[in-house]
Amino acid sequence: MNRRFFIKSGGVALASFGMMNVAPSFLQRVVLGQSREPITGRRKTLIAIFQRGAVDGLNMVVPYGERAYYDLRPSIAIAKPDSGNGESAINLDGFFGLHPSLTPFKPWWDSKRLAIVHAAGSPDNTRSHFDAQDYMESATPGVKSTADGWLNRYLQSKADSGRSLFRAVSMTQTMPRVMQGKAPALAISNLADFTIRAGQSSASVQGGFEAIYDQTVNDVLGGAGKETFEAVNYLKKVNPVQYQPQNGAQYPRTPFGNSLLQIAQLLKAGVGLEIAFTDLGGWDTHVNEGNARGQLGNLLQQFGNGITALCTDLGQRMDDVLILTMSEFGRTARENGNRGTDHGHANAMFVVGNGVRGGKVYGQWPGLKSAQLYEGRDLALTTDFRDVFGEIARKHLGTSNLQTVFPGYAASEAKFKGFLG
Amino acid sequence: MIHTRNDQPRVASVSRLFVSLVVFAAILSNVCPSGAQQPQSTARLSEDQRILHVLNRLGFGARPGDVERIKAMGLDNYINQQLTPEKISDAIADARVRDLPTLSMSTAELYEKYPQPGQLLRQLQRRGDLPKELAEAQKNRTKAAGAVQGAQPQLADEAMMPAEIKAKNESAARNESVGKGDPKALVARDNEAYRRAIREYYLQNGLQLPQRITIELQTSRILRAVYSERQLQEVMVDFWTNHFNVFAGKGADRWLLVSYDRDTIRPNAMGKFSDLLQATAQSPAMLFYLDNFQSVSPNAQPPGGNRPRAQRGPLAQLLMGDRGNNRLQVRMSNNPEQQRPQQARRGINENYARELMELHTLGVDGGYTQKDVQEVARCFTGWTIFAPRGAGAATQAILNGPRADMLRENAGKFYFNPRAHDDGEKIVLGHKIPARGGFKDGLMVLDILAHSPATAKYIATKLVRHFVSDNPPPALVDRAAAAFTKSDGDIRETLRVIFYSPQFRSPEAYRAKVKRPFELAISAIRTLGAETNGGPQLQQWIARMGEPLYGFQTPNGYSDTAESWVNTGGLLERLNFGLTLASNHIPGTRVALKRFLGNAAAEQSLDQAQIMDRFLTLIVAGDITSKTKETLLKQFSEQMAKLVPAPLSGNAGVNNSTAVGMMGAQGQQRQQRRQLAGGEADIADPITRIVGLILGSPEFQRQ
Repeated sequence: MNRRFFIKSGGVALASFGMMNVAPSFLQRVVLGQSREPITGRRKTLIAIFQRGAVDGLNMVVPYGERAYYDLRPSIAIAKPDSGNGESAINLDGFFGLHPSLTPFKPWWDSKRLAIVHAAGSPDNTRSHFDAQDYMESATPGVKSTADGWLNRYLQSKADSGRSLFRAVSMTQTMPRVMQGKAPALAISNLADFTIRAGQSSASVQGGFEAIYDQTVNDVLGGAGKETFEAVNYLKKVNPVQYQPQNGAQYPRTPFGNSLLQIAQLLKAGVGLEIAFTDLGGWDTHVNEGNARGQLGNLLQQFGNGITALCTDLGQRMDDVLILTMSEFGRTARENGNRGTDHGHANAMFVVGNGVRGGKVYGQWPGLKSAQLYEGRDLALTTDFRDVFGEIARKHLGTSNLQTVFPGYAASEAKFKGFLG
Repeated sequence: MIHTRNDQPRVASVSRLFVSLVVFAAILSNVCPSGAQQPQSTARLSEDQRILHVLNRLGFGARPGDVERIKAMGLDNYINQQLTPEKISDAIADARVRDLPTLSMSTAELYEKYPQPGQLLRQLQRRGDLPKELAEAQKNRTKAAGAVQGAQPQLADEAMMPAEIKAKNESAARNESVGKGDPKALVARDNEAYRRAIREYYLQNGLQLPQRITIELQTSRILRAVYSERQLQEVMVDFWTNHFNVFAGKGADRWLLVSYDRDTIRPNAMGKFSDLLQATAQSPAMLFYLDNFQSVSPNAQPPGGNRPRAQRGPLAQLLMGDRGNNRLQVRMSNNPEQQRPQQARRGINENYARELMELHTLGVDGGYTQKDVQEVARCFTGWTIFAPRGAGAATQAILNGPRADMLRENAGKFYFNPRAHDDGEKIVLGHKIPARGGFKDGLMVLDILAHSPATAKYIATKLVRHFVSDNPPPALVDRAAAAFTKSDGDIRETLRVIFYSPQFRSPEAYRAKVKRPFELAISAIRTLGAETNGGPQLQQWIARMGEPLYGFQTPNGYSDTAESWVNTGGLLERLNFGLTLASNHIPGTRVALKRFLGNAAAEQSLDQAQIMDRFLTLIVAGDITSKTKETLLKQFSEQMAKLVPAPLSGNAGVNNSTAVGMMGAQGQQRQQRRQLAGGEADIADPITRIVGLILGSPEFQRQ
């Protein structure tokens, strides 16, 4: 093919899309006549985990040093650390303790690879799951019409030298708000399903599609088609069905555990994964939340075991990996009449990785005395979640453009908590 | 599962052949940037192409025979007819949706008959009326299931869904924090017992699960899109549903959307824009979705105004739709005016005001300021919903409570609450809204917005983008905007200008739009003359391709341009959808490909090229490059060769298509096994395969 013609006509197609910088990446590649380079060298990866439904941060990371905590929660509080009591909090720093279901986190804390940011969240006071998740994912609290999610804006803010097809993968059925946007990203609920599904004829049917799409060279659909088959074929080589976790890691046998396992798989396959996402629901504990045992405890166990298995499985790769957990808001400081908690405000977030300055609870603790509570009922907020996200986007992922990632917010290194060196 | 090993060597050699073919073709031909989709602008569309274009854009594609039918009646007559849907009899589509009971129910009835199980249980429990079996089942489940589902009662119904619906809702209704299930046996057993107990209780009391509502609403949209003769009406319903987007996963909107579709969008889809705008402004669905129902003037502090929820009066909680733990006996009068007004939980809320101007009328560059947003929000204070979440209508009805009749009459209805209204003077876009206007403030705002030139331009742009091109030709936008203004915002007059414009009929517009997943699914079904019940399995496919109906979270609605839809994951699902449809693996949807081959004798006399031509004509009207055609023919003959001596004229089963018949007995068994094993299509049959490939071709992704 005449290369000049190719570029010129591609340019026409692009012009019809409006702006070069918003065209899908494959199209840009086609226009520039680039081919994908093999993904070599190290790259940083963020694994973001959303606890949907608003986890009770005060029972997840327990401020046992506060007397008010026990006054507020007569039936659901976690007991003070006590080596003789398996149902007591796991001491972290003499003031905070982990829920006993998160015992597997302790070694990561001790080896200073796990940090906590407490009293963090959205400055918006909404107590609607919908709105709060929306704000956390768009990272524009109070602004509903933001079109894209902050992880996608991160992708937009920084060119991908390796042009990975799997740069951003959400292990969910549909693309979560946090990853929606102009930068390419994939939502895959199960790696084994990411293929042409035609039973025994799959390979030959795919061959047919490939041949058809190969012929629509300059067409936007042709580009997407070629990229699709490239991704499908790449993943086949990775052979997701045959995966064995390493270092004795045992993932929970749940969809959540399976999502984490598949993230590890993609990471180890060297497909160029930079942003991974998954979520776990069921945290909306209005009734019978339980204390050390019960509803929250069971869910935390799955959560903690899953993350620990992922870290164990990744082994030395945790040098380049950072795991971040988040939940849309916290829950009321006071337990309600059903031994549960209602929708609250600030919450706790975990940050795990070999590059994390762990073994510390970051953020100013606002206290739980009546006068200290937000609107008289919730843990007050002292850290805007954008300062946590921003620190990761800047220091771990290396974006130079925080303003793009967090529009309308004066993000700056001065506000970072310092959990990354 | 991936089944690749057996087929690989052959594929490799085939692709080598194609590589050389492609290279050869590329050298010889003067490659046009967009292949066959964009003929030279000097060319004119043929009559058949013009008809097909209209069927694709004013409707959801051509059914077999449609082109001929329109040719006979005249294209202009058809367009005029479509512009006056009220004159088209639509008996077939009406009959199809008749069996969907929720469609004709009031919101109050839906609250009463389709309650959220968890909520219902909690209310019954609170009143001490929870039946023993239910209490027992709930207790066991709470003990066992905490690990996975969470025992939060308001989510209980999620556990009762078929897996695929659950998966959809998991993504669509994330705010309900759907858990991901743990397959542990104990949990499964207790969950099952719990489900059974709820099922029985629902059965005894004539109740249904609330997810039925969204399923039936989606079903009705699919059925009407497939079967309605009022195709343009359905296209406009789709258009306005996105323009005035409401997300089913936000709180009460699941119950409110039925009325939204039936009473707000449909009656106004082809009428005056100002009527449509006012209908959406007063719709409980929109008031809930964009929070206006709880927007209260900060100056309208009632006695004891801003107290925490627990201290607020029971009625206030009821009106505000609180889901808290209200243990108080609630006394109600029938007149909301006499009751304590809504309490200011958050005071004024600007969400609706902002989106009203940014997305519904003026457009983001429509010349309004943040000050205008604040002023508009003040105007709409007090536009709210009576008992927005149903206020326990089901419990009241079951227990024959004191509020049962009142709720049956009023729950989920729009009303204006003057005591929440800011009655001061406002200035909106330079217009003075005098003090003490009450309800009229909002109406004045809507009138100002509906008649703004920016709105005419914005609506015209969106319509031209939808009907003509991702890049709306400015000249046509100006003409359409002028028609909009001149006709006082008459939607059909605006459309008429677009449909009769040279731009609409130009070759550049032909197949220039990439179909959205809903359009792709419906057009595939119509094109193949398939039958569908529009049920959850098909809905799930539309969701997997990226467009779950009523599943778009943010107020801007689904995108109308190609770049949002052409991506790796979405495209892969489109290809799989075509294969699954062609091989009859979507339960509730049936294609009979054999009918396109005529009788058995004729069928045997057709050679492969002729069979393929028939399907190419049927599905993409022959709009396909000769190279693609060659590729398809290769696939076809290769597969035929594999199947010899299986007869081409095998006898299809009663309910099955040619596809199965043509595979021979062995193939049938294999397919059945596979169907049982994983529900995965096994595309061994050559005709199924060729149809699947054509449905997945770039040409069919366009309209």
